[in-house]
Formats: sequence, C-alpha cells, structure tokens
Amino acid sequence: MPNNVIEVRQITKVFKDGTKALDDVSLDIVKNQVTVIIGPSGSGKSTLLRTLNLLEIPSSGQVFFEGTDLTSKGLDMNKHREKMGMVFQGFYLFPHLSVLDNLTVAPITVKKESPETAINRAKILLKQVGLSEKEQSYPNQLSGGQKQRIAIARALCMEPDVMLFDEPTSALDPEMIGEVLNVMRSLANQGMTMVVVTHEMGFAKEFGDHIVVMDQGKIIEEGTPEIIFNTPKNKRTQEFLRRVIEKA
Amino acid sequence: MNFSFLLDPYYQSLLLQGLFVTLVLALLAVFIGTLLALGLAIVRMSSFKPLKFIVVAYVEIIRGTPIVVQLIIMYSLLRLPVMLINNFDISPFIPGMFTLFINSSAYMSEVVRAGVASVDKGQSEAGRSLGLTQGQTFRKIILPQAIKNILPALGNEFVTLIKETSVLMYSGVAELTYQASMIKSETYSFMESYLVAAVLYFALTFPTSKLMAYLERRMKKADAK
Repeated sequence: MPNNVIEVRQITKVFKDGTKALDDVSLDIVKNQVTVIIGPSGSGKSTLLRTLNLLEIPSSGQVFFEGTDLTSKGLDMNKHREKMGMVFQGFYLFPHLSVLDNLTVAPITVKKESPETAINRAKILLKQVGLSEKEQSYPNQLSGGQKQRIAIARALCMEPDVMLFDEPTSALDPEMIGEVLNVMRSLANQGMTMVVVTHEMGFAKEFGDHIVVMDQGKIIEEGTPEIIFNTPKNKRTQEFLRRVIEKA
Repeated sequence: MNFSFLLDPYYQSLLLQGLFVTLVLALLAVFIGTLLALGLAIVRMSSFKPLKFIVVAYVEIIRGTPIVVQLIIMYSLLRLPVMLINNFDISPFIPGMFTLFINSSAYMSEVVRAGVASVDKGQSEAGRSLGLTQGQTFRKIILPQAIKNILPALGNEFVTLIKETSVLMYSGVAELTYQASMIKSETYSFMESYLVAAVLYFALTFPTSKLMAYLERRMKKADAK
C-alpha cells in the first residue's frame, strides 16, 4: 500500500445538531493522482475533505496519512498538517499581511526557515501562479481569481505531499475560474497528489484520475472519469450527472 | 468668582502634578488592564469550563458594582503601611492602581473577546491547515486582525479611565480631583477649584476621543482601498 498517501477507514461524522454528514466512508487517495469528489450539495463532500487533515474530527473511524493514524490520541497533528496543503472556497488570505508575508509566515514560523529561504521559494511560486508583480500587494487589492492563486501558492510554500481543494472556484466570477483551473492543471501535470471537491465537471473529466461520487454522506460510486461520466452504474449518479449537464 | 489662585505658582504646580498623576494612572490602567483582559478573554474562549465560569463571574461582578465601593474594599483589604520612595508615600497608590487595573480588565475583556470573535473562522482554519499551532495562529493571524476591532474601544476605555481615576482621591492619591479639593480647602474658592479641574479633565478627554475618531476613520479608509 505504499502508493496510498491517505487512507480513510469507515469514518462517520455526526454534527452536534445530530445531522449525519458522513456515513461509514472509506477511501484511498493514491500518490500522484488527482482524486475528484463530486456530488449534490449537502452530500458530505466538503466534510469528507476536511476530515482528511482533521479540520473536522470524525465521530468514528480512522484516517491514515502516510501510514500514521491521524485520529490516534496524543498525536501532534500540526506536524502532519504542514504536509497537507489546503485551499478553501473563501480563499482566507491573511488580510493584515502582504502577499509575500502570506506565503512566508508558515515556513518561517513552523519550519523555522530563514526569511531568505522562505522568500526565495515564495518568489518562485508566485512566478508559477503568474503573480510575481503582486508580492508587495495586500489581499484586498487583489481580484478573487488572484486571491485564490495566491492561496494555492501559500499552501505550496510548505512543500506539501498532498493538496486539498475545497470548491476552489465556487466563489469566483465565471471569468476568473479559468485562471485558477490553469494553476491546478499545471500542478496536476507536475504529479502533485490532489484531492479536489468541485462542481467543475470539465476539470473532473479532463484531469481527474479517480472520480468519487457522494450522496447523503456515502460514497455511492467511484472509478475512472470514463466509467463515471460515460457508463455510471448507480441510478443516483446518473441522475446527478444529468442535472449538472442540463444546468451547463 | 475668584480664579486668582490660578496665578499662584504653588497652585499651578499642584494642578499640573494632579494632571500628570491622572494621565499616568489612566495610561497604566489601560495598558495593564488590556493585557489582563487578553488573558481573561483567552480563558473565556477556552473549553475548560470551571476557569471559564470564574472569569465570567469576575467580569460580571466587577462590571456590576461601583468603582468607589471596589476601591474602598480593596483599600481596607490591603491595609498597606506607609511605603516611602524618594520621600513619597506610595502606599495609597497600590490599592488604587489595583482597583483601576481590575476594573479596566473586566471591561476590556468583553471588548477583546468580541474583537477576536469577529475574525472569520476561516482565518484560523487557514492558519491551522498550514501547520501553525493554535497559539501561533492566535498570535500571528487572529490577534493582529482583532486589534483593529479592539482599538476604537481601547480609546473609549482610556477616556473613561481618565475620568474614573478621580475616585482615587478617596484613597489619598494626589490626582487631579484630589488637588482641586486641596486648593478648595486652602483658598475657599469652592466652585472655582472644581471648575478648573473639570476644564483640565476635558482638555485631556476631548482631544483623545477626537484623535481616536480620526484614527478609526483612517483605518476604515485603509480597509476600503
């Protein structure tokens, strides 16, 4: 199993108000692959993604990251989180810090890197996401698409082994979705292990290696994009895809 | 009306000393009070219930009782002997300062808590997802953003404290109101002494609140750009 970066084993998540967001979910995230989680809203996609780095603590079940059980007691979760980059729907850049400081605060604080090392890497990553000229800007001076590209660069600054994307394009104006997907595309081409919760079926078809379909807190079907999009077996998958394609 | 005492250098120096003591007391109280408030707010936001209860009780009791009563209780509780530093008895200062610190910490802790709570939860998740610990996230990400929300209230608290220091005359601290009462008993210019004190208080509080309002406007502008 050395190829599995993350292994989710029978996790269940019940929120305080009693709603069951995840119901006995198991999943393998394979190294160097792009895993795309799709499904209707409220199906538990985001909750599942957030349990991968324990932003959401599962009510039961286990999450293994590179062989370590993240749910075991007394574990230093921060050590593992730094190897799992996360990109949020709402960007969450740090508004009081410049773009460059947004990128370097974690490497300097967590990894105790020297400012020079952190700044050098940050500059390389800013170039990669096409925003070198923004290094001195503040988040409120950026467009939504630019913010999300910076957020991706910020996560990459920690040199993560896996990148988690929680609906990265859902809060964007349509004309800005492309620039963010381009950055994700180039990451996928570099062989980054990615887990993406998205409504962008185009991205899922083109770049997904493995598609996971969720409904009502369960994984109802998973497989290659060809199988899921062309010959889905599950009725609810068929229904969901029909609705999504009608809308588009 | 007889304001002739204002021309006497002796009374001038009394008033200036009083003004200085008032200002120093208010500054110290707002500074130390806010530091204490930060600790109180952190405990209040923690998940440890017994400590949380103590903090809530402390804040409610302090806010629900008059500062004069608190001062008198503190004064009789401490009962300090005369302590001379440079021929100057500091023993009345200590219960007075304690009362001011405690008072301002209780008021500020609510402000600090609200300021921290107003920072988007996503900010702390973003910090944690990068591997920052809870403490690092609080110091580097949450607190700097919260301070922006806290600062205007901090100015208000400073203005309030400038006025509240006047209760310390009851414990014999030579602040502005105390000096006014000294001048009154020496010159028999009853109303005039306190009128001068009132003008001096206002000369401290009015520019302070104007300055705070100006800073707040500037920060809003910086946000909007």
